Amino acid sequence: MQAEGKNFSSRASKALADAGLQQQVSKLKTGFVAARARAVAALPEYEAMREAGAAIKDHTLENLDFYLERFEREVVKRGGHVHWAADADDACRIVREICARAGARSVTKGKSMVSEEIGLNAALEADGLEVVETDAGEYIVQLAKEAPSHIVMPTVHKTTEDIADLFFEHHGRHGFSERVTDAAALIAQVRSVMREKYFSADVGITGANFLVAETGSNIIVTNEGNGDLTCTLARVHIVTAGIEKVVPTLNDAALFLRLLARSALGIETTSYTTLSTGPRRRGDVDGPEEYHVVLVDNGRTKMLSGAFRPMLRCIRCGACMNHCPVYLAVGGHAYASVYPGPMGAVLTPMITSHEAAGELPHACTLNGRCQQVCPVKIPLPDLLRRLRHDQWEAGFIKGKSRWGLGIWSWLATRPSLYRLVTRFGAGVLGVLGRSRGGFRRLPLAGGWTAGRNLPAPQGTTFHAAWAKGKKRL
Amino acid sequence: MTAGGRDDILARIRAALGNRHRSEAALSDLEQRISAPPTGPLPRLTDDALGQFISKAEANLFTLERIASLQMLVPAVRSLLSETSCQPDISVAPALEHLGWPSEWAINFGAARKTEPLSVTMAVAGLAETGSVILRSGPSSPTTLNFLPDLHVVVLRTHDIVPHVEDAWARFRSSEEDWPRTVNIIAGPSRTADVGGVIVRPAHGPKSVHLVLCES
Repeated sequence: MQAEGKNFSSRASKALADAGLQQQVSKLKTGFVAARARAVAALPEYEAMREAGAAIKDHTLENLDFYLERFEREVVKRGGHVHWAADADDACRIVREICARAGARSVTKGKSMVSEEIGLNAALEADGLEVVETDAGEYIVQLAKEAPSHIVMPTVHKTTEDIADLFFEHHGRHGFSERVTDAAALIAQVRSVMREKYFSADVGITGANFLVAETGSNIIVTNEGNGDLTCTLARVHIVTAGIEKVVPTLNDAALFLRLLARSALGIETTSYTTLSTGPRRRGDVDGPEEYHVVLVDNGRTKMLSGAFRPMLRCIRCGACMNHCPVYLAVGGHAYASVYPGPMGAVLTPMITSHEAAGELPHACTLNGRCQQVCPVKIPLPDLLRRLRHDQWEAGFIKGKSRWGLGIWSWLATRPSLYRLVTRFGAGVLGVLGRSRGGFRRLPLAGGWTAGRNLPAPQGTTFHAAWAKGKKRL
Repeated sequence: MTAGGRDDILARIRAALGNRHRSEAALSDLEQRISAPPTGPLPRLTDDALGQFISKAEANLFTLERIASLQMLVPAVRSLLSETSCQPDISVAPALEHLGWPSEWAINFGAARKTEPLSVTMAVAGLAETGSVILRSGPSSPTTLNFLPDLHVVVLRTHDIVPHVEDAWARFRSSEEDWPRTVNIIAGPSRTADVGGVIVRPAHGPKSVHLVLCES
């Protein structure tokens, strides 16, 4: 996976100054947050489901070898094939080999974040295959040669006008020569283009929202019906999925489907939930002739062994980013990683490296909203804090930041000295700033004062005020 | 398939989990959890499963019609065709072939075609919780009929309405047939909000879904 977390700050600054982008991301702030809140409030059992969801994921991870082997056995029993990929290259190689054996020339794809993670499209295109994303949003970003900026809503950064321009440029060869700007007319073009592609595709690749050990099924949820057509009409269906996607039974999957729809879109269920289990059966008149599942590790077993195991509970709903003040301020592309927002800031260093993830674990205010809305209760702020610590230990934090944090850490672990220094600092700043109430510029605080004034301390430290308040009780 | 990849990944998983030996008792607990799957917390529903199904299905933008028996299906489709000014060039699931379709209609009893004005299929269950219908693939129930038509007509027997999807799974498990290749749970016409956040119907699937509730 490509990740360039290093230049997060400069990309974030650019995003903040991009008026069009700001308008687009602001839609998430109101629409999705409110829809999720309504859906959750309408379900008194929601909190119990969250608890159960986290517990089922923990149980599954604790027995991951058992459930993956059972999943494999059930797939094979029903005529499918299971492949195991250690990393991104391995996964791409496996898919390319399946395509080559099938003599494939064209590939349709349902939405799959794992395929983005392993860089599958580029690998297949390098082999001369035509690769078409069929989800309207994924198709739009593919045409624009961009990456999705959100894991559920890939086009959240694009205006209708952007899309109108894009289709006007590319859809002439499909017989659409007029520039249209109406959402329904634009989607009608996608529908018409894709209808042809579904029928001509040799291979259809989808992701999996869940893999079910009980039956060897993969489950996808869509509102468009694109993933469903992709896996039904192509000769070969390939599923790419992370090893953490397995759940024990259909009943467990049912619980997660309830959590997922509410957390991702604020709805009770998507239009389509499709379970695929193996290839065409005897007598079937449609469905794929071959069914393959590629189970992808790519850093996940590393997460399983330590403090980051809870991250493997993630069901990719995107609620953490919809509620993250940093994501909502800068959008998904500023992260320059397949997985943006809080979950991405944790996953990226685990899937790539601390070095590639760069500043991502720091793109967080530790306000904790992501953890509050996470349907499987992942302690995202704790994991981000731990990553910062690990980065420090590994020496990836350099220069002024390292120097400053070093002094702060030395001071913070010496409480009496810390109190003395902060009391002195608050006192001095209080005296200096009292007349104007704040500072327009201050040495070492340029990052703060560039955008707003720093209020002058009111004579005492937080520690002292806290102690005083406590005594009063 | 590389056996090395498989064994390496399983070995890494076991190492990450501390290479514990799984006792016979622990193994039998895991087997038990699969053969008798526990049910998690469920949304509480009213006692009136049919009433709840209907109101949820309407909220999903299904159109609804009730018939007394399957014999009334052909007349129902006939009026749909005339209401929508659709030619009687349609696809019908082979499961419904025996219903005495008019010989002058062009009917494809098979998989859906690239351009498909209308299809008629049979659901195996309805879910009161979400107003969804469940369709199982098989020789007499091709999956493409659920996705390619402009108008998808789904027949559902009212006694096949169950409260939650877990109830449908339980029925499937106790059936003689093996787990089907494809199970589609459908909760409304195809839609997308990928252009400007505006909901557009349809995306790739049916423009509308017409539910025919059959009492018998």
